[in-house]
Amino acid sequence: MAEGGARRPKKWSRRDLLRGAGLAGAAAMLPATPLAGVAEGEGEVLPPETPLPPAPDPAGLPAPRNLTAGEREILDAVIGRLIPSDETGPGAREAGALDYIDRELGGALANSRELYRAGLLALDRYAEYTRRAPFVELPEHEQDSVLFDLQTGGATGSGAGFLGSSAAFFNTVRAHTWQATFGDPAYGGNRDFIGWDLIGYPGPRRVVSAEEQAALEAGTLEPLRRSAYE
Amino acid sequence: MATLRSLPRGIVSPWSCVPLFAVVALLPPDIAAQAPEPIVVTSPVLRTGELIPRDHSPDGRNLSPPIAWSNLPSGTRQLAVICQDHGAGNPPPWVHWIIYNIPATAAGLPEGVPFDPLDPMPAEIAGAVQGNNSWGLPMYRGPAPPAESLHHYHFAVYALGTELDLPPGLERDEFLAAIEGHVIGEGALVPVYERIPMPDPWEREGGDLPGGRASADDGPR
Repeated sequence: MAEGGARRPKKWSRRDLLRGAGLAGAAAMLPATPLAGVAEGEGEVLPPETPLPPAPDPAGLPAPRNLTAGEREILDAVIGRLIPSDETGPGAREAGALDYIDRELGGALANSRELYRAGLLALDRYAEYTRRAPFVELPEHEQDSVLFDLQTGGATGSGAGFLGSSAAFFNTVRAHTWQATFGDPAYGGNRDFIGWDLIGYPGPRRVVSAEEQAALEAGTLEPLRRSAYE
Repeated sequence: MATLRSLPRGIVSPWSCVPLFAVVALLPPDIAAQAPEPIVVTSPVLRTGELIPRDHSPDGRNLSPPIAWSNLPSGTRQLAVICQDHGAGNPPPWVHWIIYNIPATAAGLPEGVPFDPLDPMPAEIAGAVQGNNSWGLPMYRGPAPPAESLHHYHFAVYALGTELDLPPGLERDEFLAAIEGHVIGEGALVPVYERIPMPDPWEREGGDLPGGRASADDGPR
């Protein structure tokens, strides 16, 4: 995002789409009738039979040191446009998506490290070639236009240096940004449950009572705001 | 009911394969009058057979081009525009832009129609909305043909005799079905485009990445 630039009027589209998808996703995780673990008519919660996997420790995760300062600056701007902050709440930046991706490029996402190296450099070259300024210095609507060019593959044939299609790079960054924002906080993203609050996800529950189900459907279910591993 | 014998001779003669415009010329006046009238389509940046300027492609800012029209039929109530590449897509055409619900008072489309559906349209085309292009996005995305290939981009302008209130985000087939029977005027520009790739090697002042203080080759921080 261009520093010091005037904030644009409220943008509902992405956030509302995310919110709608999130609510649908959350609802899909909860059954229309009480779970099998709850004896119907009795309201008793039976003990879960499946043990939880080992919990990752966010405090013990390695520091994000796989991207250069310049790469981080560009990726931060991209993330800020994919799930922007607005008056409905903070977005992917505040959820810690940048550190999540940077860290995991040395771990679970290591296979994408070269894609990021080439893609971020190509993105910046493309922005300067087509819009006469580095990506981070462009106004937000120009940044969005650049990202649409990546998404549609229009940047592919520009000679900017994408590895394969610019759409492949865009889709990878978007997928990782969503992982970082909406994944379990135990993996180092979704800081302060920002992603789950954004989409109205009430938090993981191993069992759901009829009362909780009714509250969810009424929109009054209080989010747990805790990791599945807690 | 018309019989074969009562139809114009051209329809049943060996000349029945003549182009449609010739057939239309043979139709009775009341039917021929329903054919769209030609309207004049111009643009300060687009000309049939000439290259589209880079800023209306992803080799530039990818702004929608300005388009103007004149000689509209007297009954024009609304306008619509579609840009297609009939040499791309599987099956063709590849749709680059659809915009409709354009008021009849508009003399054309300004450059850079907003790509965010939540941004207001310019006052002169207030009420206009955009349909989905072949990328599934309700916006203009300019020509990006394969390297070293010249493609033709058909910007068609339709004058409609009915004020339609079409929803945004229509697909091409939905759009064409919606305006069918309402088109009273039609015109087009068919410019061309070939990619203009950036120079290789690309040189930029101050280094490869922002501020020149780091590059992808610097290694981890």
